[in-house]
Amino acid sequence: MADTLPLAEAKSLVARARAGDLSALEHLYRAYERPVYTLARRLTRTADDAEDVLQETFLEVCRSLKQWRGEGSLWGWIRTVAASKAMMRYRREKLRQWEPLEDNVAQRAGDVPLQLDLEAALARLSDRSRAVVWLHDVEGYTHEEIAELMGMTTSFSKSQLARAHERLRQWLGEGVQT
Amino acid sequence: MSEIRHGTVEELLALRDGEGSAWVREHVAGCAACAGELLRLEQVRAQLRALPAFAPPRDRWPVVREAARGQRVRRRIWTGSSLVAAAAMVVLALAVVRRPAPAAPEDAALQQAMAESATMEQLLRSLHPDRRALTGQTAGVVAELEDQLADVDAALNDTVTWRRDPDQVAALWKQRAGLLSALVDVHETRVSVAGL
Repeated sequence: MADTLPLAEAKSLVARARAGDLSALEHLYRAYERPVYTLARRLTRTADDAEDVLQETFLEVCRSLKQWRGEGSLWGWIRTVAASKAMMRYRREKLRQWEPLEDNVAQRAGDVPLQLDLEAALARLSDRSRAVVWLHDVEGYTHEEIAELMGMTTSFSKSQLARAHERLRQWLGEGVQT
Repeated sequence: MSEIRHGTVEELLALRDGEGSAWVREHVAGCAACAGELLRLEQVRAQLRALPAFAPPRDRWPVVREAARGQRVRRRIWTGSSLVAAAAMVVLALAVVRRPAPAAPEDAALQQAMAESATMEQLLRSLHPDRRALTGQTAGVVAELEDQLADVDAALNDTVTWRRDPDQVAALWKQRAGLLSALVDVHETRVSVAGL
């Protein structure tokens, strides 16, 4: 996703937010609310989890605004925070319950998909496979970055991506519907 | 007769991402099945990127706003208490580290820096900086000064600084007074120019 705010505007808003201007902070929140929620929705199991990640992300952004020095894209920085929050939740969930290595057929509750076949196929992937596909193919993360974020090896990230694409081919070919 | 080896999905994905081996690149150039599979992988990626964004069902901004307000209040309280703690440590340091005999010149410098800092802090408070709307550039300057101030306060609140280098304390207080003076300048300029 391209950054929704031009760099100069992002710098100005961050500076004002750091000085305690809540309207500037709200402007930042509104600019990145949907991209953060969308990313969280792809990396977590439920819409409620994604909402929590959205909130946790912006609480962290508030605390750490001074860490963004305006040298890279603001979205890139916020996205890293959001992905880390989502992965922390994933790791907690993984500890709590067994996740099948194979992709499951469970439906995810919450949102109404707008492109039924691909949405449904994505929903059938395991949380881990879906996260790898989304981070790599949509967000442009490298396998090294995914490995670091998810606590796995680079080769495992590659094989997860390949396995997920094999599944998607199979399911899209079957004409998956919700 | 041996079977033709096609590219695996992993090999074709690597090729799609610009990292494929020479073998798979050559193979795909002459194999319609693998070229078709590569195209399909490219199409799936394009379709994934074209999926619409989700809108959060509930507005979480009020929670974030309240947390941000709380952080700001805590920061002010922390800075204030840090100042009190630092002042108390000055007394302690003077009692423990310094000789009881006539005040050394550096003690006088410390007292003066602390007095300047207190004056500037009072002046800044009288300008009510938290009630002002700031432009992006000014806000950036203010944020930078406040960050530096927080760092100085943290150093003043650190007992190690006092034990290892008591002389540095006066320098820190002087730096604190300077930063507060700069903040006063910024806010006074806003008052005189914009009438805010």
